[in-house]
Amino acid sequence: MKKKQNRKKIDKSVSLLLSIILVFCILGAVVFSVARKISAQMSDSAIQNLTESLDLIKSTIEAIFDKEAEFQKLMALEIARAENPEDYIRAYEKNQTMVKISLIRSGEKEGISNTGEVFSEEGLDFSLGEEVAGVAISQSYINYMGTWAYTMKCPVERDGREFGMLYIEYVYDSLDRSLPDGFYNKRAMLYIMDAKTERLVLKPKGMGERSAGHVNLEDFYRANDIKDKKLLDEVTTCLAGGKSIMFYHNIRGKSALNYMWAVNGGAIYLIGFVPIEAIQQEGKSVNQNIFVVVTVMLVAFFLCCILYYFNHREQNRIQKEREAEREIHSKQLTEALQAAQLASNSKTMFLSNMSHDIRTPMNAVLGFTTLIAKEAENPDKVREYTKKITASGQHLLSLINDILDVSKIESGKVVLTVEEFTLSGLVNSVDAIVRPMANNKEQKFHVEVTGIKHERLIGDETRVNQILINLLSNAVKYTPAGGSIWFRIMGMKQRSSQYEHIRIEVEDNGYGMTPEYLKTIFDAFTRAENSTTNKIQGTGLGMAITKNIVELMGGTIEVSSQIDKGSLFRVELEFRIPEGKEEKEFWQKSGISRILAVCCDKRQGSDIQALMANTGVLVDVASGREEALGLAASGIAREEAYQLILLDGHAPGEECLQTAGQLRDAMPGMAPILILADQGMDGIEEESRHIKNVAVLWKPFFIQSLKSKIQEMQAGEKKKDATQPAGESSLEGLHFLAAEDNEINAEILSEILAMEGASCVIAGDGQAALDCFKNSQEGEFDAILMDVQMPVMNGYDATRAIRGLERRDAGEIPIIAMTANAFVEDEKEALNAGMNVHLAKPIDMALLKQVVEQYIKRK
Amino acid sequence: MNKNMKNNIVKFTAVSLVGMAMFVMAACGEKRSEGQNMIVLEEGEERTVNLFSPMEKTEPGVDNVARSASDKTVIMAEEKLGLKVEYITYTAEDHLDKTYDDVALERAKNNMDDIYLLNPDVIQALAEEGKLMDLSGLESAKNLRDVVRTANVVDGKLVAIPQEVVAYGLFINKDMFDEYQLTLPETPEEFLECCRVFKENGIETPIGANRWWLETFVLAQAYADLYNGGNTEAEIAALNSGESKYSDYMRPGFEFLQELIDCGYIDAEKAYVSEAIEGEGEDFLAQKTPIVMAYWGAANTDTAYGKTDFEMLVIGFPSSRGQMPVIPMTGFAVGAEAEHAEDAMAALDVMVSDEALQVYTETNKVISPSKNVEVDCVPALKPLNDRIKENVYVLGSNAGMKLEQWGNTCLIVRDLLGGATVDECMAEFDRIQEESLNK
Repeated sequence: MKKKQNRKKIDKSVSLLLSIILVFCILGAVVFSVARKISAQMSDSAIQNLTESLDLIKSTIEAIFDKEAEFQKLMALEIARAENPEDYIRAYEKNQTMVKISLIRSGEKEGISNTGEVFSEEGLDFSLGEEVAGVAISQSYINYMGTWAYTMKCPVERDGREFGMLYIEYVYDSLDRSLPDGFYNKRAMLYIMDAKTERLVLKPKGMGERSAGHVNLEDFYRANDIKDKKLLDEVTTCLAGGKSIMFYHNIRGKSALNYMWAVNGGAIYLIGFVPIEAIQQEGKSVNQNIFVVVTVMLVAFFLCCILYYFNHREQNRIQKEREAEREIHSKQLTEALQAAQLASNSKTMFLSNMSHDIRTPMNAVLGFTTLIAKEAENPDKVREYTKKITASGQHLLSLINDILDVSKIESGKVVLTVEEFTLSGLVNSVDAIVRPMANNKEQKFHVEVTGIKHERLIGDETRVNQILINLLSNAVKYTPAGGSIWFRIMGMKQRSSQYEHIRIEVEDNGYGMTPEYLKTIFDAFTRAENSTTNKIQGTGLGMAITKNIVELMGGTIEVSSQIDKGSLFRVELEFRIPEGKEEKEFWQKSGISRILAVCCDKRQGSDIQALMANTGVLVDVASGREEALGLAASGIAREEAYQLILLDGHAPGEECLQTAGQLRDAMPGMAPILILADQGMDGIEEESRHIKNVAVLWKPFFIQSLKSKIQEMQAGEKKKDATQPAGESSLEGLHFLAAEDNEINAEILSEILAMEGASCVIAGDGQAALDCFKNSQEGEFDAILMDVQMPVMNGYDATRAIRGLERRDAGEIPIIAMTANAFVEDEKEALNAGMNVHLAKPIDMALLKQVVEQYIKRK
Repeated sequence: MNKNMKNNIVKFTAVSLVGMAMFVMAACGEKRSEGQNMIVLEEGEERTVNLFSPMEKTEPGVDNVARSASDKTVIMAEEKLGLKVEYITYTAEDHLDKTYDDVALERAKNNMDDIYLLNPDVIQALAEEGKLMDLSGLESAKNLRDVVRTANVVDGKLVAIPQEVVAYGLFINKDMFDEYQLTLPETPEEFLECCRVFKENGIETPIGANRWWLETFVLAQAYADLYNGGNTEAEIAALNSGESKYSDYMRPGFEFLQELIDCGYIDAEKAYVSEAIEGEGEDFLAQKTPIVMAYWGAANTDTAYGKTDFEMLVIGFPSSRGQMPVIPMTGFAVGAEAEHAEDAMAALDVMVSDEALQVYTETNKVISPSKNVEVDCVPALKPLNDRIKENVYVLGSNAGMKLEQWGNTCLIVRDLLGGATVDECMAEFDRIQEESLNK
């Protein structure tokens, strides 16, 4: 089809081109014929003009001859009347025309001339019998003046008898004065030729090129290369017959019109030539003008063609662009449609997944509630079922949290909260969460921190925490019991002195993942599907959230995994290093300027040195017990005793403690000895208490941990175990005002609070809560639990109204937002409205207790 | 195509069309109002100077270099003086016609023209009659070489000034000389020997001659000693007083010519009726004749011997003093009673000025009469030029001699060609010497 169209196009173009060529051919033919016609007409006209010019010259010369003859006759009459004709002759002075006047009396051979010479007819040739006005004219000859001349003779008659013969010599030069000073713009060549002798007797001034000169006709032929015999014969015939002839012949390469113009019956001839270009000057000019007009028309036509062509091309281009645009649009539409379909599919899939994921725990909740209803009398069963309902509820909650997280990240609502944090805090908090999980599954959890130069960093600790918890909880989840999990934080080479480049690795030797799954691991709602993992609860959103957060922080995450061998997640992040943090003050106050680190592992020693580099404390590293003792002794000897000894607890506990004991003995005074112990070295802490001023510092080594431990030791108190749960707080005896429009929620809240020994007044909306507070006595309520989305008056307005009341406790009473609006923005708005704290639903009783305790204490 | 380019094309097209329209309208819009005199008035009468000179017969498609060179100087005069120089020419059709010299003489006597290009005999004849202007007052006359001035002063008047020093020499076909292993002849004897060898080798007429220039052989032999012997003035004085006879000087040359004729080395009959170059040139160019005589400029012009198919050399005529150039003095003269005498004098002053002669000499590659103008000659002329530079030459005409040399010798040589004996020719010299003494 396309080929056919192209062919059609080509055929069209060819026919258009042929048409144009045809038009041009016709135009050219017309112009050519017109030009030719004009040229021919002009040529005819020029020939006519030349003929007229030559006729004019001829007539002039003949007129001169006639006048000369007439005058000579008159002179003859005068002489006849003169008493002494000879005196008359002698008295006559030559002029420019008549250069010699002579008289021969009849019957005599010689006569006299006005020049005083004896004159005879000898040398004059009248044999041809040429006459002018009845006066005989001789052939041309060169006279005594060295110029071409002719003589006319006429009888002198007295009393009817011939008295003598009057001879007057005329010079051809005199004709020159009567002839035009050139014609055809002085480009015409003209000679006067004596027909008999064929001698060129005069070249009038201005007639032809100055440098050209010819002797006779033969020389004229030769010089002008006239050789054509036929032409020469014709010219000869014409000359013999006294006729004129005009013919074309090239003179010096230029076409010329040659002429032989008979004068005086052919006695003399005007011969010469006129270049055609001189004759056709006007014709040439007309042709040139025609040419100019045609050229202008052609140029205009071509310009039009060019304009048309460009316009056409432009139109084509625009059309093509439009088509391309249309194609792109339709492609985009198709893609959009596909994307929409995909999105729809995804949505369907998502809903399907969600439906499944939500229904599963929901099913458990409903199922177990049914069972509880049946087994209400059996407390053990009820307890078991409620435990399961709680687990399902927790799962449902985490599912909803993850969905919210993903939704927030994808809608770009997540804002990183950049604050200063310490790696030690981060690692400790992660360790505190993950280690129990690992322990529960009898997994080994290894934490390694190496190559870190700066412990204090600036970043969003919460989000980093989220990343680590996601990765590590996954590792715990997907590693079978008895497996190992490695959590490594490595300081990498800094790309900028202002940023700490950190690599976090989470490795396990668990189930691993298939290559196919690795491709989609970071997509939302994907989960490794196999018989083993299907038993594990998960939203499938964790890795998507993790990747999004990492990328939000400008970092990278990659994963490698092998089925049944384990997985390795590698996250690289850069954190800004806080400026000018005074690290030295603590150490000076503590009186510690020299530390001895006893490490079997050299790398660990250098890590400690690197971390302590900015503290102003000198850290010496000893690789073993002997060296440590040696250094301790030499330090004492130099009176530069170590104020603190860090002893690597990598060695078996007993050996380690022995070393600690030896060092204790070697070190006078009370320089503390801290054993760097791996997590899980149970009992070492207890055993270490037997040695004076020895304590355990759990790995990994951080300055903050060290400082805390030193402070703890210096205070002589043992810090509470970080893992130890916080002291049980109680809500007992507290009286709350709860604004909650949902009756079920209100009931749950009332029941829970009642279970905790607290009481509450439920208000159905903000206005009711406000009224209730207004009507209450000061101090009646310990706190207000405020829902946000409520009819009549929402939680924010109610809070503002309460805070705005003129009573002492209006500004002080803790107002705790309890809402399903769980975004950061919601929290911010709640605080802005005057609430003290924001808790997301569902109610986490432990958290509520903690918060209530905190705020009520303040009160 | 971007938008700018398109705009430019549109603008260009619009401007072109408007321009063309304006051009056409301007070109076609000439308006002739009624009542206006349509005849373009002729400028005031042009000043004219008539120059009489010979015209070599032209060949189709060939430029006459000599005339071109002269033309250039004429044009310089026209441009400088704002006048027009008209050429009047004459060339004899054949030997029966009046010669150029005859016609020039008559025209000058009858004041037909203003400036004449004259041969030395005519110069002398006209000068003696007082028909020529004294040119010594011209600015350009001050630059003339002494030899030129000497040759053109008659009765104390500088009567002619040439545009070139015309040196005559023998034009030799070197290839043919080499073919017969002949050295270039220095003396008459050597020359005869060369002719003998050529003749014996089938060259029918070794010397191409015309009726004008055979006198150069005679003059070379006659005056080789007179002009190069160191006693020139005294010898000329003796000739002018009649103490010495021209015939004594001329005899060896005539006898030499006679021998050339007798041996068939010169075709006397043909020479008698041949015009210069026309008669002998064809055979020389066709390499049928190895030797001709001609003037310097003939070696430069294509209408003469400027382009040959063989190596040509121009040497001096054989004489007792070796190869001898013969230098007659043709020159421009102004008629004493010329119609446009003043303009003619001014025009001639320009034509023979150093500036004009530089142009002439460079174009024609000749020896300049001005001591201030020197140019290199063509290689063929080198042998002849070398002799002239050595100041070895014979004057073909000398106004200081009472008996005109160039024309008279020419006429008497023609007598020899016509069959007169050497003695008769010598008798003629004696007669005309006598005549000159009686003037």
